[in-house]
Amino acid sequence: MSGARAPAPARAPSRAPSRARAALAAAVPPFAVIVASILAWQGAVWAFRPGEYLLPSPVQVAEEAWDSRATLARAAWLTGLSAAGGFALAAFAGVLAGSVLAASRFLMRGLYPIATLLQMVPLVAIAPLLVVWCGYGWRTSVASAAIVSVFPVLASTLDGMRGTDRGLVELFGTLHAGRVQRWWKLELPWALPSIVTGLRVAAGLSVIGAIVGEFVGAFAGDASPVGIVILSALRENRTELVFAAVLTAAVVGFALFGLVSALGWVALRRWHASGG
Amino acid sequence: MSILQRLAESCGIPGAVASARGVAAAVAVALLAACGEPGGETKPSAPAGAAPAPRAVRLQLNWMPEPEFGGIYAAQQDGLFAREGLAVEVIAGSAGTPTAQMTASGQVEFGIVGGDQVLTLREKGGDLVGLFAIFQTSPMGVMVRADAPWKSLQELWASDATVAMEAGLPFVRYLNQKHPGGKVRLVPTGTGLAAFEQGAVQAQQCFISAEPVQMELKGIPVRVFSLAEGGYDPYTVTVATGAAFLAKDRDACAAFVRALREGWARYLAEPAKYNPAIAKLNPGMTLAAMDVAARKQHDLVAPPGTGANEVGMMERARWETLARQLVELGTLKAVPPVIDDVFWNAP
Repeated sequence: MSGARAPAPARAPSRAPSRARAALAAAVPPFAVIVASILAWQGAVWAFRPGEYLLPSPVQVAEEAWDSRATLARAAWLTGLSAAGGFALAAFAGVLAGSVLAASRFLMRGLYPIATLLQMVPLVAIAPLLVVWCGYGWRTSVASAAIVSVFPVLASTLDGMRGTDRGLVELFGTLHAGRVQRWWKLELPWALPSIVTGLRVAAGLSVIGAIVGEFVGAFAGDASPVGIVILSALRENRTELVFAAVLTAAVVGFALFGLVSALGWVALRRWHASGG
Repeated sequence: MSILQRLAESCGIPGAVASARGVAAAVAVALLAACGEPGGETKPSAPAGAAPAPRAVRLQLNWMPEPEFGGIYAAQQDGLFAREGLAVEVIAGSAGTPTAQMTASGQVEFGIVGGDQVLTLREKGGDLVGLFAIFQTSPMGVMVRADAPWKSLQELWASDATVAMEAGLPFVRYLNQKHPGGKVRLVPTGTGLAAFEQGAVQAQQCFISAEPVQMELKGIPVRVFSLAEGGYDPYTVTVATGAAFLAKDRDACAAFVRALREGWARYLAEPAKYNPAIAKLNPGMTLAAMDVAARKQHDLVAPPGTGANEVGMMERARWETLARQLVELGTLKAVPPVIDDVFWNAP
């Protein structure tokens, strides 16, 4: 009897189906919501017949997306580059500024309210100025993406570092750790889960920022970014292409969000609950 | 307040800065339409024995109050709409106002749209009908500095100049088709005239009667290449209504056009009488600029020889030409089978 049981080897294969079931369980709700939304959209178009110029059906949008796939793919690539560039700048500047503010109560009280202006100033209003400062082309889109996404990183970094365990700070002091050493070995790791959350928010915002920058400063032509595709489609009354381009922008945002989430998972999975 | 924005507005699309709002507005229009709010149902009831209340209608502009709408404000100021039994609410536009969609869906009875937009929207199910063409000659043009090296649109298009011009507008396709192999780099017009003033762009889309005037008043001499002279001459600024409203209330449409025609006749004769009121509604444009603009646009609205009753009238051949051009440009799939459905010249 004992030879037939072999309990230990039997446990390893049972984890794979368990993980698959868990992944499936996680995927089903959003998938179901998406499918239901599309059906409701299509149903609304059938029921109300609002006119293609007002609200195209999902089928029309899908057809347009397929017909314009080359245009949309180029647009997604260009906008994705701008968003990623702006996001990288925002991540660097946000963590750096958050760390500096966390190190000094005086600086934090003096500069943090000013930093919040970055969140409050309407980007659309200052976008034309970015063209004046940065010129036409990718620089304006990158700057726009960076401006709109830096604050979440800064705020999350600041909050994370200010929440560092006081006992550990005292321990580092007892051990005569230097300021930079304490930042690198204690405060930054402590704040990392919070920073990752801020980076996730910033990832989505960076795409919005890039597109706003493209609205005012991108070159149009054979290879146009998403912002220009949207503007052109609006002017041509191609509402279905507008929807397709907006969905393309969402895909770019999801991709960036997913990349950041994956990096965060890699960084946190071994030691923090949020990375599990 | 760039020309690009203005031109884009004439096509129902905002300039670049406002484009995000344009998208939001378009979505809002779609939602409102889905909720089914037909316009033109607001005829007030009058008590027995009393004079009938004026017919309330709305006119949605696609830009801020400027001389290009001078006849509308003249008709309002002089009570011409009221004389026709209409209580007209003139709604100023802004960057992003989707006038064509609002008019086609019946949210307003009348709207200012581009002639090309009448055709393209009809193909998408938005039954617009042109009622009154404010400009008989399109005021669209491309502005360069007076000392710029290019002597024609062809030379400009062959250069590597940066041109502030909204991609997607039909005339951009027209220029690309007419001057193939062009090397110009197109950028949005969201910076208004600032980029042109600073030299960041070397040419800019404009209304002949607007942006060049502002540049001249700032001491920057410019030259303008007319798109109409270059072969693309649509009814750029057109008062339109929805086909359903026209079918239901043709008398109101005719009364509206009569008042409009008389208003334009008065404005063309004496713009200085009406410009101060318009200037009050639009602090962004000086009275001096409005006076100059009114003079410059006079012959575009009423070419020499135009009779008082001919202002705003549209020709079948012009609509057919525009439709054929749009088909050649790929903006329109086919010429409308019945071109007479596209416009209506009120008696």
